[in-house]
Amino acid sequence: MSALAEKLARLRADAGTARPAAPAAGAAAPAPRPAAAPAIASLQALRALASARENRSRPVPLPAPAGTQIAPGVHLVERAFAYPAARLIDLPMLDARPIERARLLCFDTETTGLAGGVGTRAFMIGVAAWKEDTLRVRQLYLTSIAGESAMLEHFAGWLRDDSILVSYNGKSYDAPLLKGRFRLNRVRHRLPELPHLDWLHPVRRRYRGVYANCRLATIEREVLGIVREDDLPGAQAPAAWLAFLRGQSSRNLARVLDHNRQDVITLMRLGDHMAGLTRLQTGSPR
Amino acid sequence: MSLPTDSPVRHVTRVERLVEGWALKYGDRITGYFRHPAQAARWGEFPPGLSAGLREALARRGVERPYSHQREVWDHAFAGRHVVVVTPTASGKTLCYNLPVIEAVRANQAKALYLFPTKALAQDQVAELLELNAAGALGVRAFTFDGDTPADARQAIRVKGDIVVSNPDMLHQAILPHHTKWAQFFESLRYVVIDEVHTYRGVFGSHVANVIRRLKRVCAFYGVTPTFIMCSATIGNPKDHAEALLGEPVHAVTQSGAPRGERHVLLWNPPVVNPDLGIRASARSQSMRLARHAIRARLKTIVFAQSRLMVEVLTKYLKDVFDHDPRKPERIRAYRGGYLPTERRQTERALRGGAIDGVVSTSALELGVDIGALDVAILNGFPGSIAATWQRLGRAGRRQQPALGVMVATSAALDQYVVRHPEFFEAAPPEHARIAPDQLLILLDHIRCAAFELPFASGDRFGENAVDDFLAVLAESGVLHQEGTRWDWIADSYPAAAVSLRSVADGNFVVVDRSEGRQTIIAEVDYSSAAMTLYEGAIYMVQSRPWQVERLDWAGRKAFVTATHADYYTDAIDYTKLKVLDRFDGARAGQGTCHHGEVHVVRRVSGYKKIRFYSHENIGYGPVNLPDQELHTTALWWQLDQAALDAAFSNRQDALDGFLGAAHALHTVAQVRVMAEGRDLQKTVGSGDAAWFATRDLQGRGQWRGADGEPVDPADAAQFHPTLFLYDNFPGGIGLSEPLFHAAPDLVRAALDLVEACECNGGCPACIGPVPGTDNASGPSQAELAVGVLGLLGA
Repeated sequence: MSALAEKLARLRADAGTARPAAPAAGAAAPAPRPAAAPAIASLQALRALASARENRSRPVPLPAPAGTQIAPGVHLVERAFAYPAARLIDLPMLDARPIERARLLCFDTETTGLAGGVGTRAFMIGVAAWKEDTLRVRQLYLTSIAGESAMLEHFAGWLRDDSILVSYNGKSYDAPLLKGRFRLNRVRHRLPELPHLDWLHPVRRRYRGVYANCRLATIEREVLGIVREDDLPGAQAPAAWLAFLRGQSSRNLARVLDHNRQDVITLMRLGDHMAGLTRLQTGSPR
Repeated sequence: MSLPTDSPVRHVTRVERLVEGWALKYGDRITGYFRHPAQAARWGEFPPGLSAGLREALARRGVERPYSHQREVWDHAFAGRHVVVVTPTASGKTLCYNLPVIEAVRANQAKALYLFPTKALAQDQVAELLELNAAGALGVRAFTFDGDTPADARQAIRVKGDIVVSNPDMLHQAILPHHTKWAQFFESLRYVVIDEVHTYRGVFGSHVANVIRRLKRVCAFYGVTPTFIMCSATIGNPKDHAEALLGEPVHAVTQSGAPRGERHVLLWNPPVVNPDLGIRASARSQSMRLARHAIRARLKTIVFAQSRLMVEVLTKYLKDVFDHDPRKPERIRAYRGGYLPTERRQTERALRGGAIDGVVSTSALELGVDIGALDVAILNGFPGSIAATWQRLGRAGRRQQPALGVMVATSAALDQYVVRHPEFFEAAPPEHARIAPDQLLILLDHIRCAAFELPFASGDRFGENAVDDFLAVLAESGVLHQEGTRWDWIADSYPAAAVSLRSVADGNFVVVDRSEGRQTIIAEVDYSSAAMTLYEGAIYMVQSRPWQVERLDWAGRKAFVTATHADYYTDAIDYTKLKVLDRFDGARAGQGTCHHGEVHVVRRVSGYKKIRFYSHENIGYGPVNLPDQELHTTALWWQLDQAALDAAFSNRQDALDGFLGAAHALHTVAQVRVMAEGRDLQKTVGSGDAAWFATRDLQGRGQWRGADGEPVDPADAAQFHPTLFLYDNFPGGIGLSEPLFHAAPDLVRAALDLVEACECNGGCPACIGPVPGTDNASGPSQAELAVGVLGLLGA
């Protein structure tokens, strides 16, 4: 092992000198530190001597930051919030008639990055749904990679025949990514059949040029007056999950849960805001 | 030699008239003449179950009966057996794979993936498929999928394409890493067609073999085992090569049933202009004369040059003759890698339409790019292998008329060897294509990409390799995460983007024209040749127009150039230092030793020469200041101990000269042996610890230089252990030096034969390399010194 590692490290240093200064991060991953090689060698020797189990070499798993385990490697966090609202909501972009609010399934994923391709996965899926003046937020997240297919099956079970998906940029990002993960884990699902309301485009049409940008955080602050405290920027979510997975810290993963929860709540509020705008514009008497 | 005059009286073609004229005037320059008679077609039958629709479509396209080899391929393909077919130019190759594919598409909604080495070939193929499809309203949907495919069309192609025509680079970078988007396509994938497999050798081939491993892994995930149909130009080992690429048994179909027109082939050696020094007239001047004659005889002519630089020089010379009147349409074009795609497509169209009378090209046109029929192929220099020679000669040839090919030898050793041994040229089997798919660096790159595509489990194999150690290395670098026996991709990166199939380094240089305030990209140069062509002061040519490199931004991979009117071109001077790191194996070699092992190579471009057009005199030098290029690779090397050297040579200078001559001869015979392109296998003489290295001065005498590059009298050097290296020019080696080590005694014997049998007087470029000014009045000649060293290394 260490001989191979050392040899590879040296060869890759050659190729590295030949590569442009700034390759995609992690793509030309740093060569193993020379100091680490002997450590691995001795670790292997020890392992062989003690015929220790493989997982000895791995970090001690951290306790999950929140929720309960519903399957090996998958945790579920549930919260309910008072959300008094009319049973019907006007969403003319979907249907001329008012829609049962309980059909709306606001969802958002947190992923391992933006590199794209089958190597990017969702490690968290948050869903908000309304029932009888209560907004219930359910969040699934992985505490081990092996839990992915159970998490996807669980999420697929939340999709009802009459569900309407609500997202922000979900048509281009979250839904295709989840379809790929379903495919990879051979989990059946009805994502493609469900109507999907992606607020990004209506919001852009309405607010382009009004605010600096149309990111969800900007719109919720400017339009809905939501102020987040101690929010973990979305870009740091992958590192937060990795730190948890590697047994380093679960602090930021808890903040990812908070961030994701606020996102799906905002999606419901955005729906009411946009429906209100439509009402004003069309002068409908409700 | 029998010339065509002794053929029965009949219509004398323009080609024959041209050959007769040359024979009368330049008979002594023609060292070999072969005439391959026309060959009648051998027919087969259509398979019994062939659908009426496809049969009608073929009839409308003029195919009433298939050739025998086509039927053979179909039988294998229909039975699900992997097959490779060896196809000469214009032998109906595409029908070999289109017929079974179209049948499967129409009968079973099967899908097929076609891979071509270049985008241009892929586009040709789709055009042909669409014509066949239209001829019979077959309803088969074929699309190219390459870097030019717009994003909005990609989704439709994934879902609707029956036949997706792409290239290995796209498979590697765009399809496999997104395989879930292609799930429907993979679930029905029945055939994979890989054309021009002979081009997948060396580094490129080793990468492609690993991309195929990844493809098979993804196919297994979707539960399919497609049948592979491969096509190759003539090589010595089509079956073995196809099996090495695929990692499975492959059936070979090697007998073509297609008819061939008559072909005349001449081997041409430029006349000796200085018998004492063994100097011949340049191949360049001869090739230009032959091309002028052919074009004036209204024969469409292609000239193959060995380098991009020589393409530009030859194009300029032909344009000076045929395109000097700017009011008339252009008759001569250049074609090579590095030109922008639009420019290349334009030249291809002009060739097909017959608008151009002469084209000068590198190996870029050796492949099956559709350029229509040409009459004459002139090879300015031996392409390095018999196989490539026939591929280039095959570019000339029409159905009914005879074709002519001329191989003009340069003064290089390999060329002279071939041109003086016409029997070798005619009888030698074509060389073997070799790949080293388990080369560590390449393997690691593709295991990384494969881990991104699907998780690995401990104990899995990739090809024949156990992956565990590689996975551990990747986990160590943070891109994989291990849970129990499972290894998952975890990094936020896209590994295929960092792996280029065509070179070690992914960092092409762009050439930016800044003349008159412009900012235009005029060419791209790959990393490995940038140091040799884009140094500041270099003359860089495109379509024979000269630009001068003003500034080279090495880190930014840009060269800024301005148009110039120089009457010279530039040629880089480089040298190499080498250090032995590890000995894998060793043996006695005569009175010395031969070893195989790992070495560290440092290459430096130290300056350049300015060479005037036409006179080719050296009119000046310039310095170059570029970073050293480093390389860890495998090599084989010969050493003689001090005592043997002192006993055999009267002084160290003689011993050094002998080593340099022996290196030249050994490099020549080794290249022939491994079908290496010159730049894949390199030679050098040094001390083996990077402290000293040897070069030749302008008179061809050896110089012993220290680490600072300054020459020292070898007699005064503290240590003198000249060592002769042949090394793989690729990080980690590419599998050339090991077979050479095992054949080392044969190599020494062949090199000795080469030098001893050479007709020159004391050494020439054909045997021991350029030794222009050596005075052999007193003491042994350079050739005798080389024989001395080779004799000591022989048994």
